[in-house]
Amino acid sequence: MTGFLNSTAAARLRRFDLPILATLFLLLAWAISIQRATDFIIFCVFVLAYDLLYGHMGRLSFGHMLYLGTGAYAAALTAEHVSANPFVALLAALLAGGVVGLILSPITVRTTGACFALINLALNQVGYFLVLVALARWTGGEDGLAVTFSKVGPFDVGDKVMMFALALACLVGVVWLMRRLTDSPFGILLRSIKQNESRVRFLGYDVVRAKTLAFVLSTSLSAFAGGLSILNYAYVTPSFIDTGRNVEVIFASLIGGAGSVYGAVAGGVAYMLISNFLPNYVQRWEMFLGFALLLLIFKFRAGIWGSLVARFGPRRAEGT
Amino acid sequence: MGVALRGAGPILETRGATARFGAFTAVDGASYRLEEGETAGIIGPNGAGKSTFFNLITGLVLPAAGSIHLAGADVTRLPPHRRVKSGLVRTFQLVSVFDALPVLDNLTLAVIHADPSLASGPGFLLGSSRRGGLEEAGVAALDRVGLSAKANWLTSELSYGDKRKLEIGIALALRPRVLLLDEPFAGLSDHEIAEVLRLVKAIQGSLSMVIIEHKISHLLDMVSRLSVMHEGKIIAEGKPATVLEDPTVRRVYWGGGQGRGLVEARGTRKAEA
Repeated sequence: MTGFLNSTAAARLRRFDLPILATLFLLLAWAISIQRATDFIIFCVFVLAYDLLYGHMGRLSFGHMLYLGTGAYAAALTAEHVSANPFVALLAALLAGGVVGLILSPITVRTTGACFALINLALNQVGYFLVLVALARWTGGEDGLAVTFSKVGPFDVGDKVMMFALALACLVGVVWLMRRLTDSPFGILLRSIKQNESRVRFLGYDVVRAKTLAFVLSTSLSAFAGGLSILNYAYVTPSFIDTGRNVEVIFASLIGGAGSVYGAVAGGVAYMLISNFLPNYVQRWEMFLGFALLLLIFKFRAGIWGSLVARFGPRRAEGT
Repeated sequence: MGVALRGAGPILETRGATARFGAFTAVDGASYRLEEGETAGIIGPNGAGKSTFFNLITGLVLPAAGSIHLAGADVTRLPPHRRVKSGLVRTFQLVSVFDALPVLDNLTLAVIHADPSLASGPGFLLGSSRRGGLEEAGVAALDRVGLSAKANWLTSELSYGDKRKLEIGIALALRPRVLLLDEPFAGLSDHEIAEVLRLVKAIQGSLSMVIIEHKISHLLDMVSRLSVMHEGKIIAEGKPATVLEDPTVRRVYWGGGQGRGLVEARGTRKAEA
């Protein structure tokens, strides 16, 4: 199949990818609702963070809710005890994700495959327990915490339009960052590690260092997404760190097409559309998600974005 | 050969290097020296420990005993990537390239390793991997092995012979002082063998090289020194012609019924003479 987009046309389109992306989300907000679109956007940031490890470096994590939750609680606790400024809370979330990632990386980064997936799940379980029971005095346990954020100048996270604008700006920033990270030599390093980690060492690269960096970037950005959620909802509950919800980000990553920045966004939106609207028509909608996943695995291995690139993109497109 | 200037000592040396896997000793007290600029060969039947010997030298396997020295420095405990930094580069018996990447991207990391100024710090993380100097350096490295026309191919689309050339291209892009080639002719057609042979001869003398081969017919007119490995031990060493006449070598090969490679090689030599 040869696409109708040749590589120069594709390159020209890519130069305007950020405005195109922003426009599509504005249309989405108009089509569904602005609050839902904000939800979608924040979830997309999480999928992007997740896919850096899964799609690009080939590390499937079953416990990324831990890092999202870390950011969520860091933001909420900062707002409660330190400063009600939403940007301070957001920064605290990002940093907390980085610190937790850095602390856990010596355990996680040396493992691959099922081991990596399950170690993250185990750590996620520990985090869930800490939030629910051990640290309930601070986290509010099962009830969670309601937080209030102050206005910064005219900016108010309580205003749904302003919150949407902030989330969209963050998504555009993260997409830009991820595109740069994955188009760079570092991106090649991650994809090389995905294929043959041992071989990369014989190119003179310290694989553990590269994997640590990717892991910490992913945990930081996941936590950033968690922080954004708290700005949006103004409360935090253990559902933000619930191990059972890991499926969401894994599905989204697969649906969109792992290993592609635009694919992650497409997957995030597709998953949210399914989970938000399918329940209106079907009661046990999760079953259909399972069917959708089976279809993806057997028919569309490359996901939504991968299939689009194969159909319309230039031959040998790299699909970023 | 030995065209290059002789340094004070050998560029690569192992002293009693031993590799054990459980009760099995794969390499048994191998002591080996490679002089600067020399091209040397190691032969031996399958399972003789040749590849494990390379794994010991490059750090994939840590020795149970003995030591490894590179340009006089003890590298026995260094991880593989640090040995590459000191100029020790290898290829693999089964071609090892990155199939899912474009051909050019296979060179990027090697090219940056050889010249970090191409992508340092933030440039490595956030700069394009296809920007000016970096892409040119990659194409130049591909050109060296005759693959620049296929720079934008997906690596999995290359033939096995082209992948072998690509792997050698990656190795050369790392600017090695010592290059270890593990059966570079294995699995290639006669035509491809001739191409790789030409490639290897072109770089001879500009660096130090050890070539492992199962069939030695390709090695004879290339190496100045031949070592024979058998059951983890280096049992003979010297000029190729002398080694082939060595009674121990002949006994091991003919006695063990594994003499096919040697017979073939002797045939070639007789034909040449």
